[in-house]
Amino acid sequence: MQKHENHENKSLEALKDSIIQKGVSKVLEERLAAGGLKRQKLFSEEALKEIKQKYEEWMNILDEKTRQSFSRPFYTILGSKERLPRSLIYTPLDVSELDYLNDIGFSGHPPFTRGIHPNMYRGKQITIRPIVGFGTPEDTNKRIRFLLSHGATGINIVFDLPTIQEYDSTHPYAKGQVGLCGVAIDTIEDMKLLFENVQLDTLSVSLTTHYPSNTMILTAMFLVAAEEMGYEWRDLRGTVQNDPVMEAVVRTSPESLPPTAIFKIHVDNMEFLRLNVPKWNFVTYNGYNLREAGVDEITEIAVAFSNALEASLEMMRRGYQPDEFLDRMAFFWGIGNDFFLEIARMRAARRIWYKLARYILGSSSSRSWWCRFHVQTSGISLTRVEPLNNIARSTLHALAGILGHAQSLHVSCYDEAYSVPTEAAHLISLRIQQIIQEETGITEVVDPLAGSFYVEWLTNRAEEEILKEIDLIWRMGGLTKAIEMGWLHRKIAEFSYTDYKQIQEKIIKIVGVNYYESEKEDHQIDVFRYPENAEERQRIKLEKIRSERDNELVADKIEKIKEAAKDGKNLFPYVVEAVRERATEGELFEAFKQVYGLWTPLVRI
Amino acid sequence: MDASGENLSLKRIKVLIAKLGLDTHWRGAITVAHILKNAGMDVLYLGNSMPEDIIEAVIDEDPQVVGLSSLGGAHLSLGEKVLELAKTHNLHNTKVYVIGGVIPPDDEQKLLKIGYDLVFGANATEQEIINGIKNKLSEKGLLTI
Repeated sequence: MQKHENHENKSLEALKDSIIQKGVSKVLEERLAAGGLKRQKLFSEEALKEIKQKYEEWMNILDEKTRQSFSRPFYTILGSKERLPRSLIYTPLDVSELDYLNDIGFSGHPPFTRGIHPNMYRGKQITIRPIVGFGTPEDTNKRIRFLLSHGATGINIVFDLPTIQEYDSTHPYAKGQVGLCGVAIDTIEDMKLLFENVQLDTLSVSLTTHYPSNTMILTAMFLVAAEEMGYEWRDLRGTVQNDPVMEAVVRTSPESLPPTAIFKIHVDNMEFLRLNVPKWNFVTYNGYNLREAGVDEITEIAVAFSNALEASLEMMRRGYQPDEFLDRMAFFWGIGNDFFLEIARMRAARRIWYKLARYILGSSSSRSWWCRFHVQTSGISLTRVEPLNNIARSTLHALAGILGHAQSLHVSCYDEAYSVPTEAAHLISLRIQQIIQEETGITEVVDPLAGSFYVEWLTNRAEEEILKEIDLIWRMGGLTKAIEMGWLHRKIAEFSYTDYKQIQEKIIKIVGVNYYESEKEDHQIDVFRYPENAEERQRIKLEKIRSERDNELVADKIEKIKEAAKDGKNLFPYVVEAVRERATEGELFEAFKQVYGLWTPLVRI
Repeated sequence: MDASGENLSLKRIKVLIAKLGLDTHWRGAITVAHILKNAGMDVLYLGNSMPEDIIEAVIDEDPQVVGLSSLGGAHLSLGEKVLELAKTHNLHNTKVYVIGGVIPPDDEQKLLKIGYDLVFGANATEQEIINGIKNKLSEKGLLTI
């Protein structure tokens, strides 16, 4: 890829200004109109007229009680916020403007409502990508190999809290938390142990790095580790999160970098990985964790798309053409309880992203128009009470994810409210996906719900609501600004509290918890026990590395990162050089902190 | 719930809420903070803190209730440290210590044994939390009516 030095930055600024002033939806509307888009209605005026007349006649013969149920407010579902009340029945009247080719079309073709590939799951089955990570890399390596030998087709590595928060296992802040919630990684040596005897050129590896800053460090470690294990960067396939929202909002930490620094590192990652690791998905805008923290399904997508737009504009300002980077952007959605809305908004997301990528960012290759996404079934909707019921919940979520045509899926384990999953719970999650895929025929036909008056109406409504929220974010100046103003933190705090209140008041129903309440006090299940002494084992390894490496060389490499940061250069290549010399994650984060300083997010009670 | 009625006595109660260690799941902590604030208590949210910082804040702020949130598995390792430090500083009997989050059943008992007054799981109700705190405050003679 060539860097285009003379890109028209003025027109980019003008575009950004017009998005902020008019809203994305207005600019989109203008550009679509300028393109001479003609719409052809699927339903004729005469047919609609007759349907309306018959509909009214039908209503008139219904008794009062039946009619009342038409206007009953749609009940509130966990994780949703009544934005989209539903009627009792949907007819062509609700989708009277429907234009088949412009709104739905064919799979693999614009607007991609029906999926990004023409043959969808017949061509490429959904990637079964379980989350795994606990203890030391040696501990996790065993579970990775267990999952792969039972049919997992991808792997999703989660890191322990000190690794995510960028402290070494020996740091005082890491005390008591090494290997909990994920795997501990301190240096490239750990990365090598994590993937020992795992075929890295055929397996697609997702590193759930969350933040841009740890993405830079951990991906650099992964790349150098793979290199030392004999792989070429160009053969590596995988994904990182690299999401500024995760670092600035979803995270809470004793020490956070400022949003502008996070955003800069975010784009550095995109740029470096794009240029050097061609099959690598350098960003996965993580709607999932944001939603689990506390926003609804609309905000989840609106924030992710605003985020992606802002980063794309910055990449273009740095001189790249949209087609040079959009094809490796991916998204990650949570799948919650509102079954049909979940499916509809995944369809809507593909349609919106296509329009944004093509008409706002001006990309011209069809790969750039794909909204590719991984989904994970909701964790917050799983209960501690009667935990086996969670298998049913997750299965419904997984079904929605598949009907929404996700590219890859992780089904949350039934023991989610207890601990990290046991091996048995992990296996059930795999099996749920395999059963849907192999036993039911559900994946045989593309977008089977297309044309349903209800689902098409809901898809349209989801699209409108998402665009409305994107406009709102841009009116604040874009997502980074909105975060600095505390908008997203406030939203999460309010949402979580409302959800909780509604559960208490039984407005939101949870079976076994506040409805059909469980009589059992005790819900004994096998609970995962963390492997012993992870902290001690990490400490011994780390101390050995520190004593054997060339400490002066490491210090020099770290100094070079700081110099590069001061000069505004892309930091990734400097981090690669430092991890190669066995610099630790904590040392690199320390360098970032020294250069960029710390920021306190606006969390108000 | 009517905060002005039965919870009148909670009005002068100061609560310090912290995320224990590096755990990033802040939804529960912020929700409980809201609940206690609405019940009339004076709530201070400390954010992510290590045991030493928590105890330092307890000394500075002198709350009657210390609430810790842990969903990352560090409830025992760091949770124990908090109470050890509280005992060292003689802050143990003069405050109510509450911990909540993702906590396996066996550990619930361990935490109570260590000295936590209350342990709450994910499905704890508003009533349970408020009444639990109120009862413990009154048991420890910290509730002035």
